Amino acid sequence: MEIKGYLMPGNTLNAAVIVKLEPDFSEGNVSYNADGTLNRAETKSILGPHSAVASSAAFYAKVRYGARIAVTTMGPPIADVALQQAQVLCDADELHLYSDRMFAGADTLATAEVLRNGIAKVEGGQLDLVFSGHRASDGETGQTGPQTAWKLGFTFLGNVIDYDIDVPNRMVRAKRLISLQGFYDVIEEVEAPLPVFIAIDPSYKASFNTVSQRLAFEKYQKEGKVRAQDYKRYLKVFNAQQLGADPKLVGLPGSPTIVYKVERIPKAKASRKAEVIDGSSREELRKAAAKMYEILGGMVIK
Amino acid sequence: MTEKYRHLYVVIEHEDGKPVPVSLEMLGEARRLMDGFNRKYRSDEKVVAVVLGHNTRKLCEELIFFGADAVIYSDSKEFEHARNLVDTKVISEIAKDRELASKFSEATDFVKPRYMFFAADNIGRQLSSTVLAELESGLASDINKLVIEDLEIKHEHKTKGQGLMYEKTLEMYRPDFSGFLWTTILCLDNRNPAIAREYHPQACSIIPGVFAPIERDTSRRGIVVDHQPSFSERDLKVRVIGRKIVKSAVDFDSHKAIVSFGRGVKESPEENVRLVAQLAEQLEGEVGVSLPISKKPFAVSEATNSKYMIPDRVVGTSGRKVAPLLYVAVGISGAMQHIVGMKESSFVVAINPDENAPIKDECDIFIKGRMEDVIPVLLEELQKQKPAIRAK
Repeated sequence: MEIKGYLMPGNTLNAAVIVKLEPDFSEGNVSYNADGTLNRAETKSILGPHSAVASSAAFYAKVRYGARIAVTTMGPPIADVALQQAQVLCDADELHLYSDRMFAGADTLATAEVLRNGIAKVEGGQLDLVFSGHRASDGETGQTGPQTAWKLGFTFLGNVIDYDIDVPNRMVRAKRLISLQGFYDVIEEVEAPLPVFIAIDPSYKASFNTVSQRLAFEKYQKEGKVRAQDYKRYLKVFNAQQLGADPKLVGLPGSPTIVYKVERIPKAKASRKAEVIDGSSREELRKAAAKMYEILGGMVIK
Repeated sequence: MTEKYRHLYVVIEHEDGKPVPVSLEMLGEARRLMDGFNRKYRSDEKVVAVVLGHNTRKLCEELIFFGADAVIYSDSKEFEHARNLVDTKVISEIAKDRELASKFSEATDFVKPRYMFFAADNIGRQLSSTVLAELESGLASDINKLVIEDLEIKHEHKTKGQGLMYEKTLEMYRPDFSGFLWTTILCLDNRNPAIAREYHPQACSIIPGVFAPIERDTSRRGIVVDHQPSFSERDLKVRVIGRKIVKSAVDFDSHKAIVSFGRGVKESPEENVRLVAQLAEQLEGEVGVSLPISKKPFAVSEATNSKYMIPDRVVGTSGRKVAPLLYVAVGISGAMQHIVGMKESSFVVAINPDENAPIKDECDIFIKGRMEDVIPVLLEELQKQKPAIRAK
């Protein structure tokens, strides 16, 4: 049985996903130094968790709309592992690695410049959708996605928890979750014409409701696993020259910001004076329990 | 001749004309920094609030009471809700507008602001990114300390290895993901002739809840400058078609108690998380977590992972700020980034085997012991005492 999205010939959808190789924060793989900082040498690297969510969001476009998917990353040669792991999740048709010593040390603006150059080449520039994660687990700035979107001239939609595409009319409809500090959370529904750049919220979960969607899901999932075993067949590596990147705008020269210094955060002055109690003493815990109720209810039981 | 880059622009966020708290916090810190700046450099650079809104002029006057020297106010129906695309365009225009700057200062040579602040929240993080991509300058995110200094910099790329003085440089301190390291970010012009380029404004996003607003002072005077926005069709491509206020699945605000856990559950995470949940239930509280937990670090059941190890429960700079009557920190060492999120709690109890953990300085009762041993006994005692209270 042949399963396809409902796309008509010529009415295709092209998507790219930006992913990142990050330290694996899972217990057993992550290693911390005695002072609580990350031991990078001892910590393995994997596809970042937010990148994984972005890959699933792209996979949704494949299952629902038969989108072609390219997964892209900037990083050292070993970052191809992240591309492979993402291919398992989204059955990518192409994997693009942007790798050059010139890119090293880039801040978010210089990274976005590389990604812009790379993504503009995907599908001959005929891209409709780009996905990125919410933020990286190590850098945690969340800036690279929106900056890449802006440089591409794509409409940026952040914190997206759900989306659908009206392919014939080339419109995306998305739900965004926005937390307004001191007020409330808002789910905002927006509509925008393609192309759009979607930074996907960590809470995103694709759902496939019809039998044909579920069949497509299984088919592509299987295909993704098979493809990923042989991922190098799908891999293209680009250096700065091949991307046509301006050396002044990438890497360290293209980074407005520098890290001036790194220091341990000094221990703050104690803001409270703790009463230390012995956790192995039932009597002490009895008192602690009473105190806790007192705080909560303003009740004092003698 | 005046300088090309002047003033500190603060991008204000509000909901229907009510400022989100971090907006006033940013203004407070901006006021303190620029007062120091003007004294030190015998200068007269301004704190400039930037407001996009509709019928929110009253807010502009308030912002002056909270420290702004000038408010640039752009009023349009299109600004009813924050939208990245159109907001980015208008804010970038405002930042480059000499005419506007001339309304509150000598601006013959004005090109762009010297410094720029945004909120490090859902809206400001993204807005700051796109605005600085448009202005082609540097941005540091999630800042919790700021200093203005003259720094001698020797940098392979920025100065071609020469020692050069960078005056009036904004040191932007950013806690890293572990909460233990502080990275200072600078945004510097490239003075190396081979790659010469000016990078202004020096911009950052600021963590909510870190800085104090100044006291509201109705005798403060300032100027509200109107900006007339113009839009192209392209700017308005995104339409907001629905907006629904939701209660977060995790409800910290309506609970008097919050019990949070951290990596200390690691010896037997499944069982320990259950103990924490029982403790929370006994105290009729909500369950919180520290940041590392939201990265799902443990091999636990899917139910536990999806219920507890989620970003929504994170207390701290990367999550929510909470202030319950009772905060119980279980197996949490007390990284700065967590402390910022819970330090306003009325009463704090920590359960931790390590008396050297920083959390000890942030709690009122420190129960020294392993959670596996402490919580079961504590639960029994709480259960015993509860009926007595209820009966009363």
